[in-house]
Amino acid sequence: MFEDQEIISTIEMVKNENLDVRAVTLGINLFDCISHDLNVFKKNIRKKIIGHAATLVETCDQVGEKYGIKVVNKRISISPIALVGASFSSEQMVEIAHELNDIAKIVNIDFIGGFSALVERGIAKGDQALIDAIPEALANTQRICASVNVATTKAGINMDAVLIMSRAIKKAAALTADADALACAKLCVFSNIPQDMPFMAGAYLGVGQADAVINVGVSGPGVVKRAIERNLAQQRLPLGRIAEIIKRTACKVTRVGELIGREVADILKIRFGVVDLSLAPTPTVGDSVGEIFQALGLSHIGVPGSTAALAMLNDAVKKGGAFASSHVGGLSGAFIPVSEDLKIAEAAQKGFLTIEKLEAMTCVCSVGLDMVAVPGNITEQVLAGIIADEMAIGMINAKTTATRIIPVPGKKAGDSVNFGGLLGKASIMNVPHLDLEDIFVEYGGHIPAPIHSLKN
Amino acid sequence: MNKMIISVLAKDRPGIIASITSDLYELGCNLENVNQMILQNQFAGFFITQVPQSLSCETIRQELSLKEKDHELTIHVRFLEEETQAPVAEKEIFLITTSGPNQKGLVAKLSSIISSFGANIVNLKAVFMGGSNPNENVMSYQVLITKEIDAPAMFAALKEKAKELNLDIRIQHKNIFDVTNKI
Repeated sequence: MFEDQEIISTIEMVKNENLDVRAVTLGINLFDCISHDLNVFKKNIRKKIIGHAATLVETCDQVGEKYGIKVVNKRISISPIALVGASFSSEQMVEIAHELNDIAKIVNIDFIGGFSALVERGIAKGDQALIDAIPEALANTQRICASVNVATTKAGINMDAVLIMSRAIKKAAALTADADALACAKLCVFSNIPQDMPFMAGAYLGVGQADAVINVGVSGPGVVKRAIERNLAQQRLPLGRIAEIIKRTACKVTRVGELIGREVADILKIRFGVVDLSLAPTPTVGDSVGEIFQALGLSHIGVPGSTAALAMLNDAVKKGGAFASSHVGGLSGAFIPVSEDLKIAEAAQKGFLTIEKLEAMTCVCSVGLDMVAVPGNITEQVLAGIIADEMAIGMINAKTTATRIIPVPGKKAGDSVNFGGLLGKASIMNVPHLDLEDIFVEYGGHIPAPIHSLKN
Repeated sequence: MNKMIISVLAKDRPGIIASITSDLYELGCNLENVNQMILQNQFAGFFITQVPQSLSCETIRQELSLKEKDHELTIHVRFLEEETQAPVAEKEIFLITTSGPNQKGLVAKLSSIISSFGANIVNLKAVFMGGSNPNENVMSYQVLITKEIDAPAMFAALKEKAKELNLDIRIQHKNIFDVTNKI
């Protein structure tokens, strides 16, 4: 028995506040597909992925229909190809990417993540082959996402890998120059990458996971924004009370994700993994993290007060999610992807949000410099420096950080780019001193792991 | 002891429940279930009670009417047959919620479709206040659906009818309301 208001508020969340399940991601372990023969390996991964995912999309749609909650994206994450394909050359890695792209089309998913390597302590033969293959693999496929973890809190930062990734990003940008460097929108460089994240482009299935697992990514910036607005319309509230409202809303949204994820997992007879409650925006009005900042009384995301507001938002989301479910994982927090969020893109375009402020905000958000388009003539040293700075934030703070930076060839600060669909559109952000060729990043080697005591 | 169900309608006021249950207690009855609701200013109460063998339905009705003669109650009493426990069928509850312009016959039109598919409405709330605010003209049916019912066809028929009536309709499994409202 439900009260009228309970029924109406649930329907409002779906109908007017863009509550949805952003991603149901099927993680598939590919270690039992390993072979030295590329054709055998390709055949094995095709059989295993299609075997598990043949009815993924149909099942998600059925469950979404049952509950009246749309499952927007159905995706697959796989074991890092650098590990399961360690014996292959970079040319063969590109062939594997094409095979995965075909498989993604067959099972009707938009992205498959796991064209990945973990190189925080060093680069093995398979890792090098994969990284070398990334530019061509991403430029010539549509549905592959790649990620490379170059740092962890316990390992430090592999600075050789940082510079190599800077070069890989520049090369991927050049290969897709006619599409505003679209390949770079499918490539993340990580510090402390989570093994169970359902969100692209960084999703992969870690080595400690089950053979197959369903992870769910729930979003809901529109629901949080409306909850804040509704309460502030009634009375002026102190920030502690607003944090409580965000926490309660996040709790509801997480429970929706777990309900749907568990049912999908039950039907597919696959283990349920985690709910990742992340405020992941889309370029749609009413589905923006930037709008939450405005609901909190800041004229634009990026103005003074933004880092404090984001810290409160991120923490409240985590607390609400942790209360709602014992199986919360992935990133769980607030994303601030520039081009994918209407209001963040607008703040950047109007100059309220600069790349320096964005970096400061990544100290307290759940990801990092995400979907940031920069001028194509940025030097590889400056790009590597930005990546290294972001990795240091993650390493020191024992949190995930990532960069998804898109140096767009032939475009300068203020020019517009359009990546299409959920990737959105934005203005190129100004990067001060982008033509420097400082040698700091060229020294290579390792920035040692930080001390775990004497914290201040 | 016999089992009876007693329904009581009255203009709402404080003390109806206290008064009726005291009367039943004095008659030697033992209450099993009570439920009540208020629609606008009207009270409706339902009492399932065990009644001494010596008392008939008519006796109970007359006794209650006599005791409450100043309160203008409408009272009905009937025997309840003890039912043998039916095997538990696989069943799920869906909430069918509509909002939109008020028109005559809305409940009849939608509930007829639900009935034609053999589905049982276990709870219905309908509020029609007129005006343009869709949230002030809302129907919410909780419908029990067993395996034998062709749920997709019923949902399609309801959506078709809602479209014809210019109503926004949402059909969602009950659990989504549980997870968003019950902690």
